[in-house]
Amino acid sequence: MNRESFVPPSAGVSRQNGVRYLCASCAAQVSLTKGEPVRCKECGHRVLYKERSRRVIQFEAR
Amino acid sequence: MVDIHRDYVSNVSSTDFPGNFPGEDHAWDLEKFKSNFNVSISQLTERTSNFDLIGIDTSFANAFRRIMIAEVPSVAIEKVFIEQNTSVIQDEVLASRLGLVPLLVNPDSLDWMVDPLHLNEAHNVENTVAFSLQVKCERNSDGTIKNENVYAKDLKFVPFEGQTISPEPTVAYEDILIAKLRPGQEISLTCWAILGVGSDHAKFSPVATASYRLMPQISILKDIEGEDAIKFQKCFPNGVVDIVDGKPKVVDPRKDTVSREVLRHPEFEGKVKLGRRRDHFIFNIESTGAMTPAEIFLKSVAALREKATVLQSCKLE
Amino acid sequence: MESLLQPQYRGKSLTDPVNTLEDKWNLLPAFLRVKGLVKQHLDSFNYFIETDIKKILAANQVILSDVDPQFYLKYLDIRVARPTRQDANEFDTSITPHECRLRDLTYAAPILVDVEYTKGSEVIVRRGVEIGRMPLMLRSSLCVLSGHERDEVAMARMNECPLDPGGYFIVNGTEKVILIQEQLSKNRILVEAERELVQASVTSSTHERKSKSYVVAKVGDGRCYLKHNSLSEDVPIVIALKAAGLATDLEIMELVCGTSHKYQELFSINFEECAKLGVRTQQEALTYLGQRVRGGRYQYGTTRLSPVEEGMEALAQTIVAHIAVDREHADYREKALYLALMARRVVQTLHDPQKVDDRDYVGNKRLELAGQLMSLLFEDLFKTFNSQFRQSIDKSLKKPNRAQAFDALFSMSFGGSHITSGLNRAISTGNWSLKRFKMERAGVTHLLSRLSYISALGMMTRISSQFEKSRKVSGPRALQPSQFGMLCLSDTPEGEACGLVKNLALMTHITTDVEEEPVLRACASLGMEPIQLVDARTLTDPKVATVYLNGTPVGVTHLPKMFLARFRHLRRAERIYEFVSVWRNDHQNSIQIATDGGRVCRPLIIVQDGVPLLTPNQIERLKNEELSFDDFLRLGVVEYLDCNEENDSLIALKEDLVTTQHTHLEIEPFTVLGAVAGLIPYPHHNQSPRNTYQCAMGKQAIGVIARNQFTRIDTLLYAMVYPQQPMVKTKTIELVQYDQLPAGQNATVAVMSYSGYDIEDALVLNKSSIDRGFGRCQVFKKATTTLKRYANQQTDRLEGFRMDEDMNPISTHAALGTDGLAEVGERLENGQVYINKAVPVQPEPNQNQQVQVDDSDFRETPMSYRAPEAAYVDKVMLSTNEKDLPLIKVLLRQTRRPELGDKFSSRHGQKGVCGIIVKQEDMPFSDHGVCPDIIMNPHGFPSRMTVGKMLELVSGKAGVLSGNLEYGTCFGGSKLSKMSAELIKHGYNYSGKDMLYSGITGEALEAYIFFGPIYYQKLKHMVMDKMHARPRGPRAVLTRQPTEGRSRDGGLRLGEMERDCVVAYGASQLLLERLMLSSDVFDVELCRKCGLLTGTDRWCSICESGEEVEDMKLPYAAKLLFQELMAMNIAPRVSLSE
Repeated sequence: MNRESFVPPSAGVSRQNGVRYLCASCAAQVSLTKGEPVRCKECGHRVLYKERSRRVIQFEAR
Repeated sequence: MVDIHRDYVSNVSSTDFPGNFPGEDHAWDLEKFKSNFNVSISQLTERTSNFDLIGIDTSFANAFRRIMIAEVPSVAIEKVFIEQNTSVIQDEVLASRLGLVPLLVNPDSLDWMVDPLHLNEAHNVENTVAFSLQVKCERNSDGTIKNENVYAKDLKFVPFEGQTISPEPTVAYEDILIAKLRPGQEISLTCWAILGVGSDHAKFSPVATASYRLMPQISILKDIEGEDAIKFQKCFPNGVVDIVDGKPKVVDPRKDTVSREVLRHPEFEGKVKLGRRRDHFIFNIESTGAMTPAEIFLKSVAALREKATVLQSCKLE
Repeated sequence: MESLLQPQYRGKSLTDPVNTLEDKWNLLPAFLRVKGLVKQHLDSFNYFIETDIKKILAANQVILSDVDPQFYLKYLDIRVARPTRQDANEFDTSITPHECRLRDLTYAAPILVDVEYTKGSEVIVRRGVEIGRMPLMLRSSLCVLSGHERDEVAMARMNECPLDPGGYFIVNGTEKVILIQEQLSKNRILVEAERELVQASVTSSTHERKSKSYVVAKVGDGRCYLKHNSLSEDVPIVIALKAAGLATDLEIMELVCGTSHKYQELFSINFEECAKLGVRTQQEALTYLGQRVRGGRYQYGTTRLSPVEEGMEALAQTIVAHIAVDREHADYREKALYLALMARRVVQTLHDPQKVDDRDYVGNKRLELAGQLMSLLFEDLFKTFNSQFRQSIDKSLKKPNRAQAFDALFSMSFGGSHITSGLNRAISTGNWSLKRFKMERAGVTHLLSRLSYISALGMMTRISSQFEKSRKVSGPRALQPSQFGMLCLSDTPEGEACGLVKNLALMTHITTDVEEEPVLRACASLGMEPIQLVDARTLTDPKVATVYLNGTPVGVTHLPKMFLARFRHLRRAERIYEFVSVWRNDHQNSIQIATDGGRVCRPLIIVQDGVPLLTPNQIERLKNEELSFDDFLRLGVVEYLDCNEENDSLIALKEDLVTTQHTHLEIEPFTVLGAVAGLIPYPHHNQSPRNTYQCAMGKQAIGVIARNQFTRIDTLLYAMVYPQQPMVKTKTIELVQYDQLPAGQNATVAVMSYSGYDIEDALVLNKSSIDRGFGRCQVFKKATTTLKRYANQQTDRLEGFRMDEDMNPISTHAALGTDGLAEVGERLENGQVYINKAVPVQPEPNQNQQVQVDDSDFRETPMSYRAPEAAYVDKVMLSTNEKDLPLIKVLLRQTRRPELGDKFSSRHGQKGVCGIIVKQEDMPFSDHGVCPDIIMNPHGFPSRMTVGKMLELVSGKAGVLSGNLEYGTCFGGSKLSKMSAELIKHGYNYSGKDMLYSGITGEALEAYIFFGPIYYQKLKHMVMDKMHARPRGPRAVLTRQPTEGRSRDGGLRLGEMERDCVVAYGASQLLLERLMLSSDVFDVELCRKCGLLTGTDRWCSICESGEEVEDMKLPYAAKLLFQELMAMNIAPRVSLSE
């Protein structure tokens, strides 16, 4: 459903490189793309956390 | 003199103003003030100062105190740009802690910002000082851990292009602990410090605290002898009362903390009168490091003068 | 003589302190290590898992088939394994509780059975067959965490907090607690008097029988009847006794009345009753009884029993079922004695109404724990599982054509999920509905409250009563003196559940069932004559004491005092189990021994001849960890007394109060309070309701929840940014380890009136303190979603972010990353999307066809952040749930500064809201330049009388100056005189009152201000979550009235009571405005002639005319009512006056 009149979602963006996640038990970095099962590549643990992005976020020091 | 009774305090307000006593005129007179006023400095160091202002009205002393806490500008971190923070300390808590780190930046070297919260572009070389914090905690080859603690000294000044500020901005105390890290955790941020005043946020207050107390006065009305004299001496801190010829003598009332312990004992009833001099202020100023206590006090005097000037120039219809 | 002159006498020199037991409180941590606060739940569950489950199996061991007589299936053994994960079993099969919390799994372990069954002609033994999964209680014996409680490293590796109390279940990711249930004791005679007299005996046994039998009599009448559900009519007691075998009237008279003439006179009328009905022999009595049994039973196949046999059956099985009868020899004597005993109690009470039993006495209550409830549930599920299994076996055995020999085990795996899902559902919904016991209990489990550490711990000690909040009766709600030491005296909620919900005290222990046999043997060896050998006259002889075991008479002793002393001696020597209680009941001339489970008891030090048996040497050894608490039991120094036995002893509170009369010494008086009340400093100086208020508020304080609080993802979690442990703490705080997970901060408080914004308990806060981090808290909220899979192979999925012309993501998608989930650390404003989920638009389900997945098949159902204030994304977790579907959890975080309206409280029930935030320079300051963080209004003290708070301030101030943490333990704590001396030493006033200067004028204040540190808690009620306004807004669909609730932007209701106030003013138009014009005003057209609502356009379709139609304004709800009535064929005709 196109709600706004601009470029519809570019499929390429979401599927290019895998998004990085961290395994909850072995802290290994796991790159997952769409459709892949949610598992750590090294220890098989099934809980993954998303890595913090390096986008700069501004805070007030108050 | 303010009277200190066992259960209450009396005579707190000054009485020397016009119209208080019928027929007497206590209007303020500059010459009288000059001859009575006295400043005596007991201690003056880089960070602390203890001095007496004698013969001044309460309103002035309080004004100085309030201005030192709230209206003397100083520089502190206001905006924090976090690029990476994988530590246990959450972003906004880390930012709040950074704001409270005292910086050694001469406030006169920066311009004021009008509305820092809204206009990012308003930050420029003249009004902002930037610091950077880049710490990665790692495990060394021999098993020990590097960079486990993040201290204030890890904040490094990063000059803007073309910024010349001297002396080079740094933190006032190097060993303030900001965060703790474990191997793999990283903090990478930039922060901007600007001028501000304590009434806006406590981080801008140049003093840890600035306060005063009134000079205590102990008057021995009747004789106290023997055992009672020793007991009398013990009611005050060491050095306040000496025993001379078996009788107590007040030697150094300045050391007294006015605990009113004397007033508890029935044997001294009617023999002692405790009080405090209403116009003798013992100031204690502890600076956070950016300016010396003398600077801060003189700036507060200047600020009061500025306020008076503004008021004077206001036209009244 | 020489030895006295030596420098050391018996190991002590002259200058050593005199032997006192000051350090006996060290017994407490030892006790808590062995039988701690949560241990009740753990021990009960362990008992269930290890022992009870095997007993259940033994009772349902064999499955036989109706079809094939050769077939049988026998269960040999049952056991529960260690917790495993349910999916792929590759490397590690073990699972941690934390993983279950995160992935919404159930922390369960497989239940394995060993079976032996016939397959065709051979007998097969199969071991380790899984029949279901049992949810495990955390920290029970099979839990992964047990055994590692001290090993912090191992706990950390499993992401579990070592201070977490455990004792709860994790079902579908949620933590559920089975609260302790309080019930009246079973199998005991309780006499009640309510204008007429009722005597009740509650009966239950494990063999599915639960019923109440009564012996009733009217006051002044004397005629007693036996009443029971299975009897259609009340049976006169003499008939019942005759039916039970007491042949002669003389015997009956002797049993019931003894030799007392008064009783005989009262009771004699019953014999006339019996004679009138023509019942003389046992046969006639049984016939009479049998005729009145309701619903004749029939055994397998045979027809009805004769009335005699009916009577016998009823007596044997139904009435007073827990007394066993000897069916072979038709010996009902014990039951007869029991019925006679009930009649005797009735007669006694008829004579003296004082002899009623108190239903609220703690000794008459039993506490049911998790293990017992789970065992009932499991038994029920197991039985239905077996019957289902048998049915499926029968079905397949009936089929004559079978390819191969039938393997029964095959069908077992099909029914396997019945047990698992039954257990999960019961724990998750809290509804225990068991067909076997006709039990329909709701609200058995609760969600473990994680507002703070103490709220979780307090929940584990909670007892919920069986009285269903019936408002009238005040008896169960009142504080019972028997609660002393067993149940906490202060901790009970305010409002509806007041007095019904209780909490355990610190040192209570709940007993478990114990075998009766050894106790009977011990009694026999102590000279008790068994009841079967005793004649009626001896039984009622006042010099002879009857011995009761769990409420049933088992024997008689002529020397009660010696019996008691020797019994206790045996118990202290460990010949009898330590939790058996024995006490003497003078009113009934009896000795009662109790071995049943669910009694509350507590340990006390034994005192003999005025000397406590505990020696300081033993305490030393305890401190050196040479002795544990159980050793003290074994040494005969400490023993457990339950509520009833306490009545028989004289307990000294302190060591110096011990005399030769005393039998016991309290270990520590402060254990009278529970874990939550133990937070209060100097509670013995407070008015007691204030302590109760604090018990409620301490559970709402924001603090540290557990050491793994940042690894947890909870629906709502409050955390304090800078928590501090209290300056004035209590021994309970140390024992409970609250000082490691505190919930508050030490604030410098000045008690004065200031600014006028502190009226009615409001607080004045210091702005600079808040700037520096005082009272800052964080609120974590969870958002979760699963990507479901549909019938036609389609699944939900995540979309990326949309972009605008400049290739920037649009504002609502600004926080998203390429995977459709918000980036960690990003700030979310109102309306921004954090999970961009897309749901397939369902075409016709083509199961087998693989349809090309096209973007247009999906519809975006994004999850957006909706709140006035911004939040940050703290964590994004990607995982799979039990059904292997992707599970996404996003943790959102807000850090909040204290603002006007946020609620604070000290630890003394002094709650207040922030009234104003004042700048530091305006704050009063002391000589040293210290200004307060909080200013509290002194008007809060006079009517509330919380002197404990004043003591806390003085002790805290002294502690700050001397650098020590002070104690405010109940009935103890730091002494005021010492604290004042400390203050004087440091130059302050002895009372804690300092001279302050006004921050505004600079002059000294004319009064001395009470100034010092007090531990303040920030409570979870914050104005940001509550403030709500609505000018105009959404309306409900059905009634067209404004919606309800802040989340739906609702309006506030002008309720009935508010309406009454408006009526009192006579403001009728205001009512009209509020209730109709601003709410659901609606224009209708009415026909004047028929009085009904017409349709449209000024035409009444019923009268078929347009003349009489009138316009009118009605509330829509009224119009709705009229239409609904009209739909039911009722005509609500409106008659208009002019």
